[in-house]
Amino acid sequence: MTVTCSEHPASLQGRPAMRRKVADAAALAAGYVALAMIAVPTIWVVAGVLQRAVPGWSWGVLTHTGAAGAGGLENEILGSLVLTAGTLVLAGGVGVLAGIYLAEYATGPAGAVLRGASEVLAGIPSIVLGYVGYLALVVALHWSFSLAAGLVTLAVMTVPYVMKSTEVALRQVPSAYREGAEALGFSPLQALRRISLRTALPGIVTGILVALAISVGETAPLLYTAGFTSANPSAALVHRPIAFLTYAIWTFYNQPSKSAVQLSFDAALILLVIVLLLIVVGRVIVSLSERHAETR
Amino acid sequence: MRRTALEPDPSDLATSRGHESSYPVLEASSLRLQFGSTTVLSDLTVAIPRGQITALIGPTGSGKSTLLRTLNRMNDRVKGFSHDGDVLLEGESIFGRNVNLMLLRRRIGMLFQRPNPFPMSIGDNVVAGVRAHRIAPRKQHRAIVEARLKEVGLWDSVSGRLADSPFRLSGGQQQLLCLARALAVGPDMLLLDEPTSSLDPGSVETVEALLRKLVPALTLVVVTHNLAQARRIAEQTMFLFGGRLVEFGPTAQLFESPNEPETMRYVTGRIG
Ligand SMILES: Nc1ncnc2c1ncn2[C@@H]1O[C@H](COP(=O)(O)OP(=O)(O)OP(=O)(O)O)[C@@H](O)[C@H]1O
Ligand SMILES: [Mg+2]
Repeated sequence: MTVTCSEHPASLQGRPAMRRKVADAAALAAGYVALAMIAVPTIWVVAGVLQRAVPGWSWGVLTHTGAAGAGGLENEILGSLVLTAGTLVLAGGVGVLAGIYLAEYATGPAGAVLRGASEVLAGIPSIVLGYVGYLALVVALHWSFSLAAGLVTLAVMTVPYVMKSTEVALRQVPSAYREGAEALGFSPLQALRRISLRTALPGIVTGILVALAISVGETAPLLYTAGFTSANPSAALVHRPIAFLTYAIWTFYNQPSKSAVQLSFDAALILLVIVLLLIVVGRVIVSLSERHAETR
Repeated sequence: MRRTALEPDPSDLATSRGHESSYPVLEASSLRLQFGSTTVLSDLTVAIPRGQITALIGPTGSGKSTLLRTLNRMNDRVKGFSHDGDVLLEGESIFGRNVNLMLLRRRIGMLFQRPNPFPMSIGDNVVAGVRAHRIAPRKQHRAIVEARLKEVGLWDSVSGRLADSPFRLSGGQQQLLCLARALAVGPDMLLLDEPTSSLDPGSVETVEALLRKLVPALTLVVVTHNLAQARRIAEQTMFLFGGRLVEFGPTAQLFESPNEPETMRYVTGRIG
């Protein structure tokens, strides 16, 4: 029996149907709109900061401490770096461990509770967390405005991101890798360290990067917990306030003196540079760890 | 060949008879395997002869993979799996309470249907197990990589790119790399689950030739759907069908004058 298919095109030449062309064009246009919605504000912010900060820039802001819109930004820069490094250790450590637990060990209600709690946590506005941090750490625990109070608040805020990205990245590790490791006699811990975590590293790093970017860019929770000071950070975890860049951006801008406004833009520029550096470091780690990835 | 007992304290009688070459490496007795309440295989009693290739054939779903994965206890963590009966490796139960799973899998290696190199360099892949079991100091790794890649005939084509990703190798080369990785930990036995079914005919021939060279130093159990392959490489063939071991014997006999009517029908292509 022969079946003739009347729609079968006799030749490869021809135009796609009108409807398909319209759909293609619409999809392309939507793509451009989405791109513009991300690119335009980014460029606008970066250009705005550069335009205002660069003309009056003096390298002295990096090496002088100060407050109230006078002097330099050394204390704010060091304070922000210490807070970011602390978040890396605290939120990174706790988040990665919790993510491993969720992906590899959690079965039943314990995992569901942890997952739910972290989703709720991620949804709480940062200013509320800051206020809770203030009541619990600064007041109840008598830590005063301090590095520890600021750090713990930032960590609580950012752990959900690290945890989620770690869990998702681990779940995406192909089961063929795990089985291969198991069949070769790896202990579960060796399989986790040498195969699963290694494979999941790009996803984990991306999550940590988001956490760090949030922590370096937050203002509200730190106002309640870290306080502010014109001094450089010290080794004291509690009872000593600590400076941070977003404070300078936020307060100095509203002060009458021109130098204060200049410092505010300088602080914004430095913050941008720090975020950029974080992104670059993250990309380097990701591309190094993906050298031998299957999908490359 | 035998270096390590499965248990830290090898005081069992089995140790002495383990050296006799006529004694089987692996024995299953009254083995029953099930997932949930569904029995996949039952009443399986069989002895795998030492230093030979044993083919495992049977239609799809007959429990070949399940049996194979029981032998190195890869089914342990599979949901719903349970077993009855026992499996003895050199006379020692692999299910014993003090059995070290890492040691068991070092002695019984496995190769999968789809090549599964790890996402690390070609060289690191070869010594991945060597590292995990701390078999040799780091400075010997280079030599191990070379020796094992030569053993599987991959050295000439990859010696210049040991630091490269394994995923740029062809499928056949990837499977050979996995074989080199499995051999590097010095197993007594290899379990292979359709090791050539995702490979091109040329690679199939290479892998088969290699497997032939591994005996009698190693004992191999090969699952295959390819009856011609079983005839080409295996001394012994085991036919699983309908939830049981229907027939087990020398390959030529099983294919040419089987004892059971089901075997006859399967090898002549009338079932499966
Ligand atoms: N994890 C599992 N959970 C439940 N049932 C399973 C599981 N794995 C396998 N089975 C069932 O066990 C039976 C045997 O499966 P198995 O994979 O051992 O067959 P096989 O002989 O290897 O088949 P094939 O030739 O297709 O690979 C099948 O009925 C299968 O559905
Ligand atoms: Mg199978």
